[in-house]
Amino acid sequence: MCGLHAGLGLAASPAMQDAATHEQLAAQLRKIQQQDPMQLLPASQSGEASRHAPKDLLSQSDILCFGGLATLVPKRSVLRIPPNLAPRMQITPGATLMGWSEFFAQNRGWITTVELSQGQAEGKLPLAEDLTKSLVDNPNLVVATYQGGPISLMPLKVPPPAAAVDPKTEKSKP
Amino acid sequence: MKTTLFRLVPMVLAACALVAAQTPAGYTNFIRQIQSPSGVQWDATVAATGEQLSPLPVDLGGTRFELWTVKASPLTSYLLDTCLVGTFVPVAFVEIHSEDPYRPIPRTRADRPFSVDITVSGLLGGPTDPVSSRGVNLLRHVQSYGVGGTGAEIDRNQATLLPQAAITQNGTRTLSYALTSIPGADRTKVRGEERFSVFSLQDYQTPEAQIASQYIQIWPVADGSLSGLSAGQLIRFAMPQITVTLNDLYPSSTTYVQAYQGDPRLGVTGKTIPGSVLVTNDVLPQSRVLTLKDYDAVFDEEGRWTMEIVTVTPFGSDRLTHVSFDVARIIKVNSTLTTIE
Repeated sequence: MCGLHAGLGLAASPAMQDAATHEQLAAQLRKIQQQDPMQLLPASQSGEASRHAPKDLLSQSDILCFGGLATLVPKRSVLRIPPNLAPRMQITPGATLMGWSEFFAQNRGWITTVELSQGQAEGKLPLAEDLTKSLVDNPNLVVATYQGGPISLMPLKVPPPAAAVDPKTEKSKP
Repeated sequence: MKTTLFRLVPMVLAACALVAAQTPAGYTNFIRQIQSPSGVQWDATVAATGEQLSPLPVDLGGTRFELWTVKASPLTSYLLDTCLVGTFVPVAFVEIHSEDPYRPIPRTRADRPFSVDITVSGLLGGPTDPVSSRGVNLLRHVQSYGVGGTGAEIDRNQATLLPQAAITQNGTRTLSYALTSIPGADRTKVRGEERFSVFSLQDYQTPEAQIASQYIQIWPVADGSLSGLSAGQLIRFAMPQITVTLNDLYPSSTTYVQAYQGDPRLGVTGKTIPGSVLVTNDVLPQSRVLTLKDYDAVFDEEGRWTMEIVTVTPFGSDRLTHVSFDVARIIKVNSTLTTIE
């Protein structure tokens, strides 16, 4: 059976042992929990950091799938979904997953991209009016891109209206 | 400062390209760039090799790059690496080592050790330096996949956070663990993952954010049984049919049944029972049931024999079970020959 060891990349046939038992591992765990190497570092009081851990990519993405090919784009990057193309936002069994540029190159017939500026993507600037109008009538699925890559479009941050200033109050100020 | 930040971006992509080249078939890599505080996400297509500049400027609150690999069937995403780039955010790397060279997701077995290298640089120590530059938090999460679980579709927000630590000095620290702390009633059957993450500290312009993170998958210890043959059994004729039940074979392992003369002894190289060799090269533990018959040729001598199941993994050879029995096929005929004259 030397060949078996070689196939697994073991340098030499190691000493055989009986498989570990629950009792052995439980005793070992009790011992090492008293010697946790992280206890040698200063304790941290921040208990909320894990809330900021990355969320699952699938939960942050929309799927585009057609003809046995599929890709993922950020949520909020698909600006228009014509009803007849809605089924293409679900993955079909056996589909091959690929990056956006490769997928888009093979699906230009039904996908239109709209190039945004960084300010538009962040919701600081509105989309051009003619662009907004053209989205309504576009028969294709429309994806927002920045430099060719799909980008999410955040809700427009409308600046708060300037507070009305009472001239009398203003004058009474020192 | 932006110039400096832009220099960091290609480093991220280069590191990702290395992983991409090692990704097994069936997995597709994605890099997601997430701006803070706007929350804008940009998809960066990843080539198998090479590097590229991100055209999206780094925001005041920093930009996080996440490297994901996604399996199409079943549709599952795995976070391979993250990197946070910001004005006053330290740089950190987490690297987990085990005895199993498999990548991209490090893995080991419930009874085996692993170690974690935490490298932090860019920390400043001055009293006037921003809070976010003075230290980072190190978090350790453990999460069980449950009985028979594979890790697909688990809610990682449900992971258990173990006591966390602060790192306030630059350098590399190695944390060594003799075995996993993933919860489980039967310590041999623990399956799940341990995650080590480095988070930045919050200050007035940057939120607390993950700088680096990596996890290791822990798979259970295999077990097996031989039925159809009992300890001490006397075999006088043909060898009986045996059922070999194998549970939780390590994803990269070779398992076989062997027999040798004499009582049980560890480390003996015996004769392999024909039809018993099972090679596993997968991403998940495997369970199988084998039926062995017509293997009489192995037992060519009379006397005590031992049959055992052996599994060979990156951690060495383990005997899962054994049984000893006696073979006595010689037929002694006691007779008397009498003649009459």
